[in-house]
Amino acid sequence: MTNSDIDELINHNAMLVIDGEESEPDNIILSQNNNQSTFVTNLNSSLDYIRTKSQPLRHKILSFPDNLLMAGKSSWRGRERVLAAFAGVFLASLVITTVLAYSVGLSSAFLQNSLENDVFDAQITFDEGPGKDFRTNDSLIWESTCEELLLTKGISDCGIVYGRQGIRANSIFDDDNIRAQPLVVDSVTAITGDWKNVSWDYPEASEQGPPINDNRPIRFYGEGIWDGELGDRHSRDTLYGNWPTNYIDAGNNRSIILPSQIASRAGVSVNDTIDSLTFTYVSDSAGGLDGGLDLIGSCLGEIEINFDSGFQFCRENLTVYNLTISAIYEEGQFGNPTLLFNPVMVSDSVLNDSQKLILMDNDHGYLGVSIDRNLLPTSSTRAATEWLDDLEKNLEENEYANSTVKIRYNDVISGTIVFLNIFLGIIQVFDYILMIPIIILSFSVLIYGLVLSLEQRKREISIQRVIGGTERNLTGMILLELTVLGFFGWFAGYVLALLSVPLVLDAVGFMSFRSSDININPTLSFGTTLFIILLTVGLTWFFGRSRVKDFLSIEIDEGVRKVAAIKKSRFWLHLITFIIGILSFVESWIQSNGGWGPFDSNGIISNFIVNALLLLFGPFMLWVGGALVLGRLGASGPRIFTLILGWSPLVTDIRRGLKGSGSSESVNRLAVIMLLTLSIVTLAAVQGYTGTVVDERTTSAENGADLKVQFSTPMTEQQARDAIQLAIQRVDNSNIQDIDSMTSVGDIFTSVKGEDSRLRTWILFDNHEDTLLWDTQTIPGSSVSDVSTSWSNNWFTAGSNAHTQIGLTEIESFITIEYTSYNFSFGPNGLETSSTVTETNIQYMGKHRWIPGLEPTQSSQVITIGESAYRSLVGNQTANSFTSNKWFFELCDVKDRSCADALRQLNSEISNGIGITSSTDWPTVHEENERKGGLIFGTPGLLSLQFVVASLASVASAFVFLSLVLTQRKRELAILQAIGASPNQVIRLVLFEIMAILLVSMGLGVVLGLAIAESFNGFFGIFGFIFQIFLGESAPIDRELIWPWFDLVLVNSSVLFAVVLALLYTTRKALKSDLAIVLKGE
Amino acid sequence: MVTDNNIILNADSLFHIYESKAEDGNVVALRGIHVSILEGEAVAVVGPSGSGKSTLLKCLGGLMKPSAGNVSLVGKRMTRLTGQELVNLRQKTISFIFQDSNLLPHMNALDNVAQPLRHQGVLPRVARKKAQNLLDKLGVGERSRGLPEQLSGGEQQRVAIARALITNPKLILADEPTGALDPITSREVLELFSSLNKEFGVAFLLVTHNREVASFCNRSLELREGRFVAQHGTDVDISNLSGSRELIIDDTGTVTLPPDVLLKVGGPGRFDIPLNDKDVIHLERVEDEKIKLESNTELVLSPICPACFHDYSDSKTQLCPNCGSTRPMMEKEKK
Repeated sequence: MTNSDIDELINHNAMLVIDGEESEPDNIILSQNNNQSTFVTNLNSSLDYIRTKSQPLRHKILSFPDNLLMAGKSSWRGRERVLAAFAGVFLASLVITTVLAYSVGLSSAFLQNSLENDVFDAQITFDEGPGKDFRTNDSLIWESTCEELLLTKGISDCGIVYGRQGIRANSIFDDDNIRAQPLVVDSVTAITGDWKNVSWDYPEASEQGPPINDNRPIRFYGEGIWDGELGDRHSRDTLYGNWPTNYIDAGNNRSIILPSQIASRAGVSVNDTIDSLTFTYVSDSAGGLDGGLDLIGSCLGEIEINFDSGFQFCRENLTVYNLTISAIYEEGQFGNPTLLFNPVMVSDSVLNDSQKLILMDNDHGYLGVSIDRNLLPTSSTRAATEWLDDLEKNLEENEYANSTVKIRYNDVISGTIVFLNIFLGIIQVFDYILMIPIIILSFSVLIYGLVLSLEQRKREISIQRVIGGTERNLTGMILLELTVLGFFGWFAGYVLALLSVPLVLDAVGFMSFRSSDININPTLSFGTTLFIILLTVGLTWFFGRSRVKDFLSIEIDEGVRKVAAIKKSRFWLHLITFIIGILSFVESWIQSNGGWGPFDSNGIISNFIVNALLLLFGPFMLWVGGALVLGRLGASGPRIFTLILGWSPLVTDIRRGLKGSGSSESVNRLAVIMLLTLSIVTLAAVQGYTGTVVDERTTSAENGADLKVQFSTPMTEQQARDAIQLAIQRVDNSNIQDIDSMTSVGDIFTSVKGEDSRLRTWILFDNHEDTLLWDTQTIPGSSVSDVSTSWSNNWFTAGSNAHTQIGLTEIESFITIEYTSYNFSFGPNGLETSSTVTETNIQYMGKHRWIPGLEPTQSSQVITIGESAYRSLVGNQTANSFTSNKWFFELCDVKDRSCADALRQLNSEISNGIGITSSTDWPTVHEENERKGGLIFGTPGLLSLQFVVASLASVASAFVFLSLVLTQRKRELAILQAIGASPNQVIRLVLFEIMAILLVSMGLGVVLGLAIAESFNGFFGIFGFIFQIFLGESAPIDRELIWPWFDLVLVNSSVLFAVVLALLYTTRKALKSDLAIVLKGE
Repeated sequence: MVTDNNIILNADSLFHIYESKAEDGNVVALRGIHVSILEGEAVAVVGPSGSGKSTLLKCLGGLMKPSAGNVSLVGKRMTRLTGQELVNLRQKTISFIFQDSNLLPHMNALDNVAQPLRHQGVLPRVARKKAQNLLDKLGVGERSRGLPEQLSGGEQQRVAIARALITNPKLILADEPTGALDPITSREVLELFSSLNKEFGVAFLLVTHNREVASFCNRSLELREGRFVAQHGTDVDISNLSGSRELIIDDTGTVTLPPDVLLKVGGPGRFDIPLNDKDVIHLERVEDEKIKLESNTELVLSPICPACFHDYSDSKTQLCPNCGSTRPMMEKEKK
């Protein structure tokens, strides 16, 4: 024993000896033991015992590997608790990464979607014009510059293009921009096809952009354009034939690719040949606003004068021979005018060297490049344009081809981006809001996992403290383990999220994915990644630390004790949250219902701000509060089931064992987690399905039928039928052989008898319902066939404005409408006009909201009558020779993929035909709508994501939490066995208890989910309204909720399945383990 | 012999109350405990279940803060220390052995034993080597890789003892250290304790029910209802404590009679002190009739005003006609 000096201390104890022998009843003699009367001791303060110095750093470092190993070992031995924490971090990381990556991906998807028409992202030309320095007329040197450009980060593909002259202008309306001319087609000769009919005029080109040229442009493509990124972009619009796979392929075939209008007018198809093609280039120019020399005299070719810009151009001819049509592409929308629209494209190997030299000399050779659009920052407009500016500066700074060439970079896409970013902002805000529940969910799983996991270590920490573990050591130990765990969880979630986001981005409807031509590879920046790590690992760390601190602050003894005191939770807070949530649900229901009981459509709360706050936050409160409150109900599932099944022999013998169940904290948490996850699953499924259906209904309302064709002149039914039938034959797709049915909507003016004002009247012909895609939302009542029958029996419907105009109040009331027809004849007094007035009685059936395929705003102004009323107004003769510009066709089942493809083909054939103003097919319109989910671009993907993640979370958390709960109860089960329960009884007890909790929680979860879905509908309604205002999205369709029972049953049964698996596994393990060991408690 | 510098643990007026919301209310586990443990001393705490033995041990070892009172460990007031200081003080001074060994479930025996040294910053290799030596000495060397659940109760307890010894403590606090062991293993453990005690001067404070354990100690303290009532020598007989008992009077003058002593004097009552000299006190029961109660006092109105000395004579008035004071009552004079 070491020396210890002792401070002065006084022992207050006196030892007394009872003099036993002498003591008699009622007499005690106490005498003090004098030799031990007092101890006065000295204790010198000695700090030798107390090591206040921190451990040497060397020791720390040397111990680290061992500590790590120990952490690993102990994690492995405590798998269940580790799994719970891991699952939490994993899920949180998965969700947050997905949300952020999805947002990045969504931006670039949206961008790509919108930039689809722009093939080239930039034109790279010589810095100075012809005749100046740092140029080359050697196309090979120019082409080789591409390789140098490709070294710059951001440039993804590059190739030489002979086409428009180099642009050296600062804005698109600059003279210098208008002066740079494209190559344009002059004439074509061929054996096949009717090329004489083809007009090479292309006035749309100068109407849709600056007045550069109004002829069809032509481009010759060199190596680099045909394959890679640029090849992919070109091949997207291919309608017939195939885009050549590479330069050699294009060269060998002497490929030419035609726009669909040209091919259609010439009546040529793929593999037809062209003998010669003559195009013109610009050898000289003059004029413009700043004046200039007259070209007459100096020009060897033809002088072209552009009257819009005042420029004169000297155009000379070049001819290429023996071309083969490799592909025909669908002409796109008019996008950015920089490189002019919808050109004829030819392989540059058809040009001979001298032709190439001429084109190079006259500045017609540029480099077409694509940039890696994934790298474009989508966070803000400024970031994107700055990025592009940097790229431009970066490229222009350098000299190329051994410092013989300087370039100029003409950006094509920045204008588009600036415009798109406004939309993107709105989309992103909404997406983030939509993801709030799933983020809350993931964090609650994370926190619950950590709580459960750390709770199990409470005793261990206390033992460590008994044997001298310092606060720092223990905190370090736990945090090391959590950090390692957190990093694994983060990494797994992060990687999985990045892998799955491209899939989610392909969502074209709820849980329906189609690999699109959009190619997105969402990558997160280092900062974002760090943010995710901080959020997941950091939160784990932070939470772990505060929890360990809690453990360290309690008495050691309390931690060592095996029975811990149960903490009271804040039930009242939960209940109040839940009640406010319910209030918002009722409020939203009353408002959408247009009033209920004593309340009008304003609902219970009339204050505007309070009402809006309630509708915005209510759904979330309903969700969280509902889960917490109903979780108690779920946890008492066994009691509920015992009440119901108490009589059955199945549970009579274990009834007593079930009595106390459901009170434990972990069981309660299990129920809450089940409720949270399953209600989100339900919400996502309901809203997702609803969105998909809304998209389809919107498409049906917009397009009206499979095919909507607007002819430039009125056609009779037969004429329209013949025109379309011809197109069907030309397309020759086996999926569309014939027109199943067709109809039009007549349009006349009538007036209510006795009133002056005219009333626009639309006529629905008999059997219109075979063609038109009606929606139950637009008609009075709920049966389309009933309403159609009524129409053909002289009933009518009215739009809301028309309804007020004619002052209709009662359904089934009659009105008389008059129709005036005018006859013109030449009489003795010149032109004479006579009019005949006919009238008919029609009966009011209710309001319509829109008529399929027609403008919803117009629909509100009109009344709609049936064919019989029309005939009695205009007479059979007029009715039989009815003509219309607009015809609707029913051709095949649009939901069928092959039908959709055939329709698209047919549509492009028709829309390029003569005499057609416009033609739209259902699948194409649907494609524009389908990514909106009834709200906005990207919604279906988000809801699908929510559905998948929440399903995963529910299955995984059921599994993990359950095995944890059962591990905690191992001892209890062993005690049960020790006091005589048979293994069978124990299994039944556990099964019954857990299944009861699960089933009740599941049921409640689905009910809660349905309520949340309903209450979120009000929330989405607000956003739908905002989008309508900001983006001009018209949404005539109400979000009527659709209940996808099948998916709900599927998810719930897989949760059940996982739970049964977990149960069997853990219970078996618990039963197999040695009773004595378990009861010993080690 | 007690000297100035060999008190290792000293407790002063320890009180501990377990708070409870149950109907019985709070439980007072310790009621003013005074105790001192000397270096190299082995002390047993005996007493019936629920007398507060375990509570005392936890308070003394710093696992629990007593509700009131002070514990000094090698002269440091433990109850005043917090956090790191307390841990540092304990690390080199005290070790604990529990009835159930309380091993760390996820570590094997070797790591369990090495852990206290690891907490002190000793390198893993060194700590393991020392742990292995200790385990060898305790006869469980070959089981050092086993997880606690794979060890038998005796082995577990020996591992726990090894863990307690590895820090070379000056005092070992043990709560029924042999409670979970068979008699033979118990004896082995006691022999080990005894050799540690004699050869290395390690002090012991044991809570026990076991006679063998108690007799290993130099003295035994008898705890009843949260008070030390008596002390016994080495030859303590747990089943009959009366033979060796020395009663304790603490500095508040409280003395608690053990039940058997109380029975012998004829139950509770009042006692006269006919003899009270230095180191000797003699008590004698007071007979019931010895105390006379005089409860027949009669009150009458005061004849004179206490304020102005006015004589009321035979008047029954309540207020003094002279000065207006209220007329008081007074004891009737005995005739």
